[in-house]
Amino acid sequence: MKWFEYGDEKISHREIMIAIPSMVIGVGILSLPRSIAGATTGSDGWISLLVIGVFFVLLTWIIAKIASSFPNQSFLSYTSLILTKPVAIVFTFLYTIVSIMIAAYEVREISNIAKQYLFDRTPVEVISLIFLLVVVYAVAGSRAGIFRLNMMFLPIIILVALAVFVFNLGWFRLGNLLPVFETSLSDYVKSFSTGITSYVGFGIILFYISLAEKPEKTPRFAVIGMGIPIVVYILLYITCLGVFGHSVTSNLLYPTIELAKEIDIPGGFFERVESVFFVIWIMAIFNTTVMALDIAILALSSIFKSKDKMRLILILSPLVYVVAMYPKDIEGIGVLGNIVGYSAIILTFTVTVLLGVVGKLRRVKQGD
Amino acid sequence: MSLGSLFKRNKKDTKDKKQNGDEDFSVEIVNNLDKNLDNLKKMLEEPNDLVIREFTIRHTNHRGALVIIDGLVDQDTVDNKILMRLQRVNERKDLPNDNKKLLDVIYQELISVSDIKKSKTLDDATNSLLYGNTIFYLEGIDTVLIMDTKGWESRSIEEPMSEPTIRGPREGFVENLRTNMVLIRRHIRDPNLRFKTHQIGRRSKKNLVVTYIEGVVHPDLVKEINRRLKTIDMDDAPESGFIEQWIEDSFISPFPQIMNTERPDRVAISLLEGKVAIILDGTPFVLVAPFNIGDALQSPEDYYERWTIGTLLRSLRYLAAFISIFAPALYIALISFHSGMIPSKLAFSIAATREGVPFPAFVEALLMGVTMELLREAGARLPKTIGQTIGIVGGLVIGDAAVQAGIVSPIMVIVVALTAIASFSLPAYSVAISFRMIRFGFMIAAAAFGLYGIILSYIMVNIHIVNLKSIGVPYSVPFAPSFISDWKDLVFRAPIQALTRRPQYLKTDDPESGNKGRQGS
Repeated sequence: MKWFEYGDEKISHREIMIAIPSMVIGVGILSLPRSIAGATTGSDGWISLLVIGVFFVLLTWIIAKIASSFPNQSFLSYTSLILTKPVAIVFTFLYTIVSIMIAAYEVREISNIAKQYLFDRTPVEVISLIFLLVVVYAVAGSRAGIFRLNMMFLPIIILVALAVFVFNLGWFRLGNLLPVFETSLSDYVKSFSTGITSYVGFGIILFYISLAEKPEKTPRFAVIGMGIPIVVYILLYITCLGVFGHSVTSNLLYPTIELAKEIDIPGGFFERVESVFFVIWIMAIFNTTVMALDIAILALSSIFKSKDKMRLILILSPLVYVVAMYPKDIEGIGVLGNIVGYSAIILTFTVTVLLGVVGKLRRVKQGD
Repeated sequence: MSLGSLFKRNKKDTKDKKQNGDEDFSVEIVNNLDKNLDNLKKMLEEPNDLVIREFTIRHTNHRGALVIIDGLVDQDTVDNKILMRLQRVNERKDLPNDNKKLLDVIYQELISVSDIKKSKTLDDATNSLLYGNTIFYLEGIDTVLIMDTKGWESRSIEEPMSEPTIRGPREGFVENLRTNMVLIRRHIRDPNLRFKTHQIGRRSKKNLVVTYIEGVVHPDLVKEINRRLKTIDMDDAPESGFIEQWIEDSFISPFPQIMNTERPDRVAISLLEGKVAIILDGTPFVLVAPFNIGDALQSPEDYYERWTIGTLLRSLRYLAAFISIFAPALYIALISFHSGMIPSKLAFSIAATREGVPFPAFVEALLMGVTMELLREAGARLPKTIGQTIGIVGGLVIGDAAVQAGIVSPIMVIVVALTAIASFSLPAYSVAISFRMIRFGFMIAAAAFGLYGIILSYIMVNIHIVNLKSIGVPYSVPFAPSFISDWKDLVFRAPIQALTRRPQYLKTDDPESGNKGRQGS
């Protein structure tokens, strides 16, 4: 419909700014304080969160710079320009696999948490299935619709994170944060390796920049967008430590959700706020899953030049479901999470370095 | 037989059918008066409200005839402004003898009706006759005069029934197209206010007017609406709802994509925002497009009261929308899945009241919900005087008796009553009705999966909304795609002085609607 300028396949740089935190913030933060606190001493975990965050902000900026110098070109086409076609196809394919795994991990994790906090009898398979069906419904709509969903949900999610922080101020003990700056360098490195998995997802700009109206503006906005999860993570991490203390935080399965449990709404209006918190957090996880599946479809359709989105959805979503159902228990899910996190980070890092270095060496410019 | 001739023949066949198979029937006006009148009578089959007045024009021996449909015309105009002028031409005795010249004199000097035109076809004449015009035939001339004498009984301007406000103009639209146009013109005296006419209905041939302010509205919006209106092909459009359903973007959606209103002030506000209004003859409901979720919870009153009050009312409406969609679903979810979330004291008292209730919460909620809908429907259908009885019988008697009988719990009655009140407080009926509809969906989801089901349904509604469009404009605007400068007239209603821009999402040609800065003080 070109008569009214709401092009459905073009997105603004502001929408990219919203999409990145929507993608990054997912299930990771729910257990993140545990792993970070486990690796560091006292409240030093925020330093690792900040350092990793800044590193990824830099990476985001580089990716956005590279991708935006090829306006309106898909990941496959500009990667082929720089790294030859077969390599580009391999990378696009790898992205499809990683995206499917991200989606599967989110689906599985959400069902597990839902099982723990909301249901006792409903089987995980059913919980996952209906979640996945809603995801499929979103992906089947227009791509612009997905960005609009981000825009509708992200403010609610940030508001909820802030609410958790504000309502917990009453339980906050500064003494819990001590000692500070006592973590050894090797422990920092260990905490980096556990922390990076929570920042997975900024690689979406490699794909979505081809849809941007003004690609030259995107790097700046992508960086701002990447800043949002850092702030949210550090805020929630500090709150966790301040409320629970170091040893409790490192032993809770989902410290962030437990944080919501501590909230006591004045007047006892309703109890067990953690269920409400998790229920709203489902929106965040939903956005991550939708974009992961969408990237998988975008990547695959660029390889096969297929215009039939519905067919790809019908092929990929059962795959997501199968992968999601594969882990037997909570440890298996943790392993899946680690595999997903590391492979996504390594892939994005490799692609960025290759694109940057080879692009510089071969001096590939747009329109060649 | 070639294809071309087949086509021609078919065309002729249909024409014949229309003319009742009369062979020497002609669609042209001929020179013979008797023949002309005969043709007209045959075309309409001489209905008894067809009045043909034959007479001789005074001081000449020319015969003429006036044709009207009784009741559609203003008798006074026909008698005094037309007939009398033709029969008592005292001032001028030198009327020309020549037919043509005589008709010119009649056209230019004698008849004192402002809207008058000439025509040579019978189709034209009959159509305008059915619109309430008067036809004048003169012997020996193949031209008729069509004079505008419309004047039928119509309802006077009253306060709109479906959208009462406490403060604001009391005028509402009526069934008469012309009056409705006047009502809008009286709000906006801009020479750029445009009224473009379409004719709708194969048989009813109703007038439909598209209204907008040129220079404000995005031209493509008008083009698109006109394009969609041209595709309408049906016998009749008794109400603007037919038009709405024909041109809306998605017929599956539970949400109205075009606003309807009875209030001229609301239409005027919308036109000034850069929207387009569609007025159909014969109905007081005027359509306004495009429409979005932000508009769904607005009322013109928000602008008439001071901004603090306006803002408060709007937030109240968002709360009302929330309650009217979620309340019963939350009740079901809390009772059947997450009873741990209810504070223990309350949980005990709820458990105590639900002691004798034989049904699960979902059945209970469904029972009361359906009863509520029935009561509302009954209240709307009954005459006003009895309508109140229904309120008492339904609200007090059934509610109380149901609790006494132990069919439903008192908490359920509170929830249902709250939901009903909340949905009544929404300003647009069509929006309230769609919320009622999705409420039942939420209840089913809550019964199946508790809070998880509710949030997934909420996400689904959002997915639907972001993919929905109203005449090509995203329904979720201005939330997403976000137009931040439009947010000051969304939940929050900024002071009038700050509302200096028309909604950006409409991409108007003239974005400024006022000057910044306070006047006075």
